[in-house]
Amino acid sequence: MNTSGTNGFQNQKALHDAAKIMVRVRNPRRLLRMIVSLIDREIGLTHASFLIYERKKSRYIFVDSRGTHRIPIQLIRLDDTNPLIRWFSQKGPKSFRRDCLTYESLCDWLTRPLAGQNVEPSETLRAQWLDLKDVMRTLRASVCVPGHYKDELLGVVILGEKLNGAPFTPAEISFFQTLASDASMALKTAAFQDDVIKMNRELTEQQKLSEEHIKEIAALRKKEQETYYEIVMSLAQEVYAKDPYTSRHLQGVERLGLMTAEEMGYDLSGRRKDILVASLHLHDVGKIGIPDRILMKPAALTDEEWKVMRLHPEKGAKILSPLSGFQDVAEIVLHHHERFDGTGYPHRKRGEHIPFEARIIAVVDAFHAIVSERCYKKGHPVEKAYRELKRCAGSQFDPGVVEAFIRVHKRLMDENGRAQTMPSVTS
Amino acid sequence: MKLLIVDDEVEICDFLKSFFEERDYEVVTANSGEAALEIVKKIRPQVVLLDIKMPGMNGVRVLEEIKQKFPRIKVIMVTAIETRDKIEECLRLGADNYITKPLSLEYLENDVREKIEGLKNTLLS
Repeated sequence: MNTSGTNGFQNQKALHDAAKIMVRVRNPRRLLRMIVSLIDREIGLTHASFLIYERKKSRYIFVDSRGTHRIPIQLIRLDDTNPLIRWFSQKGPKSFRRDCLTYESLCDWLTRPLAGQNVEPSETLRAQWLDLKDVMRTLRASVCVPGHYKDELLGVVILGEKLNGAPFTPAEISFFQTLASDASMALKTAAFQDDVIKMNRELTEQQKLSEEHIKEIAALRKKEQETYYEIVMSLAQEVYAKDPYTSRHLQGVERLGLMTAEEMGYDLSGRRKDILVASLHLHDVGKIGIPDRILMKPAALTDEEWKVMRLHPEKGAKILSPLSGFQDVAEIVLHHHERFDGTGYPHRKRGEHIPFEARIIAVVDAFHAIVSERCYKKGHPVEKAYRELKRCAGSQFDPGVVEAFIRVHKRLMDENGRAQTMPSVTS
Repeated sequence: MKLLIVDDEVEICDFLKSFFEERDYEVVTANSGEAALEIVKKIRPQVVLLDIKMPGMNGVRVLEEIKQKFPRIKVIMVTAIETRDKIEECLRLGADNYITKPLSLEYLENDVREKIEGLKNTLLS
């Protein structure tokens, strides 16, 4: 149970816990069970349950339910035709939120005309609400939050009432929404990976590759790649939530890193590009494990605090390495604070022994830190950043990377009419 | 409309009990085959929802007993067991339906209502 904060609930902390669960747990059902127990632990509820889609049988079943009034999970299923499933699956009138359903709002809709609208709800809509109310009552639900992937409804988080009887706060609702959508994404990724593995195995057995299969696999790989990217970005958001100034330059960091690698003749086809992009975004993922009092400290850190801070590459690698497809990224994350002259941490690797991607990250990250306005110092102009990079080339940084980076950055600045210090960011 | 729910899992009994009570059924529950037969003798429910896998007397034997002594009582098997043999055995012993868990509550309620209405019709004719 949470002890800090007046409302007994720290959204941000809980989300970080959830993010950690997501990266560590590969088995999707286990992941969902851990999320349900996280909700149960963070906010005392009469019950917290998770419904997931079982595609083979076109039905939704419970993977877990916890709390004093938990639902017997083996007993019931919800078919495609169930009002709750239909509500979250279809696109209806815009005036009703389909990203969350509370029993309270349902009762509101049924008893009074819509706020700010003169339109009376149609009879079919009212009938739908009555059915929904019935389902929610049966499921002892006061909040239902859907988890979509693209337009497909993959799961629903179903929650009872709070044990203390208080209503849910908007922060809590948005916490559930984040969990539901992250969990759906994780489910989808796991499903794709299983599909790809299964298909590969079948194909090897048959030793016969029909055109159709190849196309199908290519499509799956593409989807897998997209999902991989989404996971990277969602994790990166968790890191940036701790260190908000960074997030504005998300796209910039990625573009600069990729262009520098390209400038140096690095082959960016296939997985190599994914690995570099993931590393650029996730190199600080270990900061999730560093206490806020150190991370957010507005003054200089003490020796002890630095010791803790310097653990973040190892923590990051530890978070990433169990996740399939992230082993290379973990290795790069581990070494992004090594120095070219071999005096960095954690392993005092030197020169070419440091992974190429890690050497790129060191430069992009340092440049970014110099030009950004950090909490403890004012932003520096670009020219000064160039000078600083050049001064440390050969000691801290790979001189080849520094050169390539500055060339690329100057070119980008010219293209952007020197309006921005980092390449344009649209997100 | 008297309904008896038999399942060794108390949670399942409680869940189904409140579901049917909200729909105006009179519901009694039993957590074992033996207890179920006692209740059947005493209150003569119209419909029995019967789990198969229970410690002690299992659902198939309960079904057999009920159908021998009270053939008019409708018995719906509600179970996680999905084997063809078991389904055929239950139907041969007179089960009126065989529903596998996880089940759709809508379907279950419709079936119970149908059975009760069927009983009413036979009484009237």
